[in-house]
Amino acid sequence: MAAATHAAHATHDSLRIKRAGLWLFFFSETILFGLLMSARFFLEGIEREHLDQALGVGITSILVTSSVTAYMAETAIEHDRRSDAMWWLLGTIALGFIFAFGVGYEWATAEFTRHEAFGTVFFTMTGVHAAHVLSGVGLLALVAIQLGRGRFSSKDHWPISGTIMYWHFVDIVWIFFYPTLYLV
Amino acid sequence: MYALFSIAGGLSTGLIGFYLGLGLVAIVRGITGHDAYDEQVSITIGYVCGLIGWLMGIGMWGAWGREWFGLRTYWRKAPGWQRYFTFSPDHKVIGIQYLVTFIVVFLLAGLGAMLMRWELMESGMQLFNHDQYNAVMSLHGILMVAVAVAAVIGGLGNYFVPLMIGAEDMAFPRLNALTYWLVPPVAAMLLATPFLGGIEHGWTAYPPLSVVTDSSQILFGLAVITFGLTSILGGLNFIITIIYMRAPGMTWGRLPIFVWSMFVTSWMALLYTQGFAVALLMVLLDRIAGMSFFNAEAGGDPLLYQHVFWFYSHPAVYIMVLPGFGIALEVISHFSRKPLFAYRYAVGGLLGILGLGGVVWAHHMFTSGMPNYLHGPFLVATEAISIPTGLVFLAALGTIWMGRLWLRTPMLFGLAVIFNFACGGVTGIFLADVPTDIHLQDTYFVVAHFHYTIVGGEIFGLFAGIYYWFPKMTGRMYNEKLAQLHFWWMFISFNVTFFVMHWPGIQGMNRRIADYPESLENVNLFVSISAFLLGASFLVFIYNMIYSWIRGPVAEANPWAARTIEWQVSSPPPVENFPEPPVVRGHPYDYGVPGSVHAVFPGAATIPAGAGGGQ
Amino acid sequence: MRRHVISAAVLWVILTAIGEALAFADLYPTVGSTEADDFDRIFRILIVMGMPVFTFVIAVLFYCVLRFGSFGMPAGDGPAYRGTGPGPKVWLAVTGSLALTVMIFPGLTGLAKLQPDKNGNGWGEPNAELVVRVAGFRWSWTMEYVDAGVTVSTAQGKELVLPIDTHVKFEIDSTDVVHSFWIPAFRMKIDAIPGRTTHMTVKPTVLGRFEDDDAYRVQCAELCGLDHSTMTFPVRVVPRAEFEQWLQSQKPAAAAE
Ligand code: HEA
Ligand code: HEA
Ligand code: CUA
Ligand SMILES: [Cu+2]
Repeated sequence: MAAATHAAHATHDSLRIKRAGLWLFFFSETILFGLLMSARFFLEGIEREHLDQALGVGITSILVTSSVTAYMAETAIEHDRRSDAMWWLLGTIALGFIFAFGVGYEWATAEFTRHEAFGTVFFTMTGVHAAHVLSGVGLLALVAIQLGRGRFSSKDHWPISGTIMYWHFVDIVWIFFYPTLYLV
Repeated sequence: MYALFSIAGGLSTGLIGFYLGLGLVAIVRGITGHDAYDEQVSITIGYVCGLIGWLMGIGMWGAWGREWFGLRTYWRKAPGWQRYFTFSPDHKVIGIQYLVTFIVVFLLAGLGAMLMRWELMESGMQLFNHDQYNAVMSLHGILMVAVAVAAVIGGLGNYFVPLMIGAEDMAFPRLNALTYWLVPPVAAMLLATPFLGGIEHGWTAYPPLSVVTDSSQILFGLAVITFGLTSILGGLNFIITIIYMRAPGMTWGRLPIFVWSMFVTSWMALLYTQGFAVALLMVLLDRIAGMSFFNAEAGGDPLLYQHVFWFYSHPAVYIMVLPGFGIALEVISHFSRKPLFAYRYAVGGLLGILGLGGVVWAHHMFTSGMPNYLHGPFLVATEAISIPTGLVFLAALGTIWMGRLWLRTPMLFGLAVIFNFACGGVTGIFLADVPTDIHLQDTYFVVAHFHYTIVGGEIFGLFAGIYYWFPKMTGRMYNEKLAQLHFWWMFISFNVTFFVMHWPGIQGMNRRIADYPESLENVNLFVSISAFLLGASFLVFIYNMIYSWIRGPVAEANPWAARTIEWQVSSPPPVENFPEPPVVRGHPYDYGVPGSVHAVFPGAATIPAGAGGGQ
Repeated sequence: MRRHVISAAVLWVILTAIGEALAFADLYPTVGSTEADDFDRIFRILIVMGMPVFTFVIAVLFYCVLRFGSFGMPAGDGPAYRGTGPGPKVWLAVTGSLALTVMIFPGLTGLAKLQPDKNGNGWGEPNAELVVRVAGFRWSWTMEYVDAGVTVSTAQGKELVLPIDTHVKFEIDSTDVVHSFWIPAFRMKIDAIPGRTTHMTVKPTVLGRFEDDDAYRVQCAELCGLDHSTMTFPVRVVPRAEFEQWLQSQKPAAAAE
């Protein structure tokens, strides 16, 4: 009995704990994004400047698609299909980049400036979110490199799962940001 | 040697990072056709890169960063005291790192208070000009807030939560080390501000002032955002540790109350700290990128800041005081040799504060010109919070009632927490009442209120904890006579200073001023002298700590005959905490209950002395 | 046990009696308006209500320390009360009803008097006999008597003159950072914020002037940078007739500018 508990303690960096930690981190990030959204409504109520709707729909669907590809990557590694996983990861990275470029294009062509209130909230919200997307891309690249060097298997793939959880989270944030910025 | 190597390594990679950041900005700005150097942008980006460089250099690269690239990790190991200067995963090392750092910061910030009181001895300007006064006042405020938020959690919490729940370490040891090593840059930056223009806007940094003031505001903003990050990550680590790492048998109903207070505090930190970071992020964006969050002419609104800021900073006051309550209740129970009275209600009180703490923030804005319909709800919520807080008092008073009070220094400090906070809490009611707050807002009445709550509630609690656990942390005993001298000296001069301070507030002396009407001269002189006495009491403390740590008599494993698990191992505890993993059998505070035990070590041949609690 | 309860209760009563003396003490600056009267009254009520709470804690603490305390290690453990009886519930009920009382009176009732208009941004009746428009800037004030078209500022007059027994409404805003408009003799303050107008109405009831009594001053009560502490403006409350005269005397000066 005693020996068993001791062993349980030794592996405290276990998966369960890591996953719970990540969830708490998301929880905390949710508040960050929630505050930004509240700032948007506080300053602008339900007003909105003109935005390129087609672009909005476009980048949103790209991000949603990237969540699917990320999911595929995770499934692939769970079944030890490492080269499939690699391709799905690379695909996700590419979609992430396209999304970021879409945001950049929107920034370049926006009809308002950052010096006025709507511009302020628009650029801040999309900017903070895009920074998360780009860091997600960075993490995906890191796990892809490790995958390429021969790490990960169906038994050991927490870094991939964790990164992909993060990716889904960032995606879900956009699902909330998109209507508050484009549709309200 | 190791220590030097470690710090120098961190500093040099930090500098390299900083210059890389500057270069990056220069390149990007060059390409887009701007000047290569823009003070605010360059400093910001340089800081971010420098911070990463510092962390990697101090040891995070070897212990953690390499893993991201699939490389083998290693720890730099240093002998003896030098391990305190390395990126160490041991929660006991990190606890000491935090504690010592924040005591130094506390003394420096206290020195600032002494300078302020010097200036305030007479009306008119003596020591400082207006600018310097504002700088010292703001620095005192923000440093002390940092101390109050992190000293107990980071220091005592780190050291004792794993020990008290019977765990080997925190859930994420590397994250723990990271949260500590983010602190030195924060402290360094804040301490540098007086030489780089000074913070002009108090610890609250209200815009538009903080947007238009000169450039050391950037340092303030970056430091606070970084500090927020450490708070959040630290809170996360505690929550996971307490949920998942308890020893077998350590049910929620058997958790020591100090651990409960850490748990609740960590949730607060995790839930609200973003507010401070977002508020300052918006200020930085207004400054750096010319955005208009707070520029009324372009559709912004200064009140947005105040809402977001207090959304954090009110819960922050409970982040400050709950650990103090936790320590006080813990100590009071052990030194009354009685079970903690109404344990469930006390825990319920802590949880109630967690629940209500998030919906009262606008009581700091009663005179801000926010819409009238907001005042009523916030008044009600604020005064409602005295009900859960009262439960903490119930537990404390019920425990000492009919107890066998052992009046050693930790106990005296613990009781002082209850004494002081009764005063600070009741003056809080005066402020929560809108009709009285209209006059009292921004006066020395508020200053007196919050020194009573923070210093009286938390700093006294911190000292209770330091004395209580000193033998456990250092393996040596402090000098009881000097400690009692420190207590009485500090307790009396504290109460004299800050109780009298209410009065100039009512009379019309506002805060954050270097100069005041002559009619208030006498009382200010009195307060200043008393404050100097208060400051001097810490000399006793410093002497006692340093001397006893080096020369003090060797301490027993359990000098207080206390029941909780941390006292059942040697002083100081072995690196792996428990030679044999503990199993929890009963409540931690069951003094006077025949035959009850809290924890046993089933694997050990003999149960260490004192495991059963009082005789 | 019974004896201890009685002794501690006696201590509590004595301490409360001493403490309540604070309610009678004159802690306050000059009472210059009806609002100041209200403030002092409510403050005293809160002392009366808060003092027993404070002294209760103190009494129990002192009693236990003196009666049950020892400097040496106690010989045995205390009685194992766990608080499972009705005690905590009684405590909850008492503190709960106390808190509820304080909320309603003097809290919400006082608030209702201060805020007849739920959607405004400020204190007191929105309608008043005299309207003064105040602008805060770093680091002084300008005050415009709207109907008379008179403006006083640091350069011009440098005194806020108010008629006695008149509802005066201040409409306040700021041209740069957040300031706060506070007159200690009237116990009223409200922030001056760029981008919105706040208001507060006072009714001065006592003659007075800054030279004799520094509670008659406008004081900035929100940190606004360098000269925040000197951002004051003298106030003088005068009889109505004198006020009219003063207003007239300011007019030509204003025109000549
Ligand atoms: C540790 C820190 C701490 C704590 C715990 C508190 C606790 C409380 N505070 Fe305080 N406060 C500060 C730190 C703290 N405060 C700081 C730093 C500021 C200034 C910030 C700045 O502007 O720089 C401030 C400012 C501040 C204001 C704004 C003042 C102003 O600027 O106009 C208000 C107004 O409502 C307020 C109210 C309260 C109340 C009602 C409590 C309550 O939680 C108190 C509850 C406790 C009790 C009431 C006593 C115990 C209870 C009983 C024995 C039960 C029975 C009692 C009753 C039923 C009444 N505080
Ligand atoms: C943890 C919180 C904390 C603590 C402990 C203190 C401690 C003290 N504070 Fe502070 N204070 C604040 C938090 C705190 N304060 C905050 C948040 C503000 C608001 C700022 C703002 O408005 O923005 C404030 C503002 C504030 C003011 C109002 C300034 C103003 O509005 O103009 C005053 C004035 O008297 C004051 C005084 C004091 C005093 C006398 C102490 C004493 O307790 C200090 C005791 C003295 C020491 C600790 C010094 C010991 C030093 C030595 C013995 C020398 C040895 C030193 C070395 C070896 C380095 N404080
Ligand atoms: Cu204007 Cu302070
Ligand atoms: Cu508050």
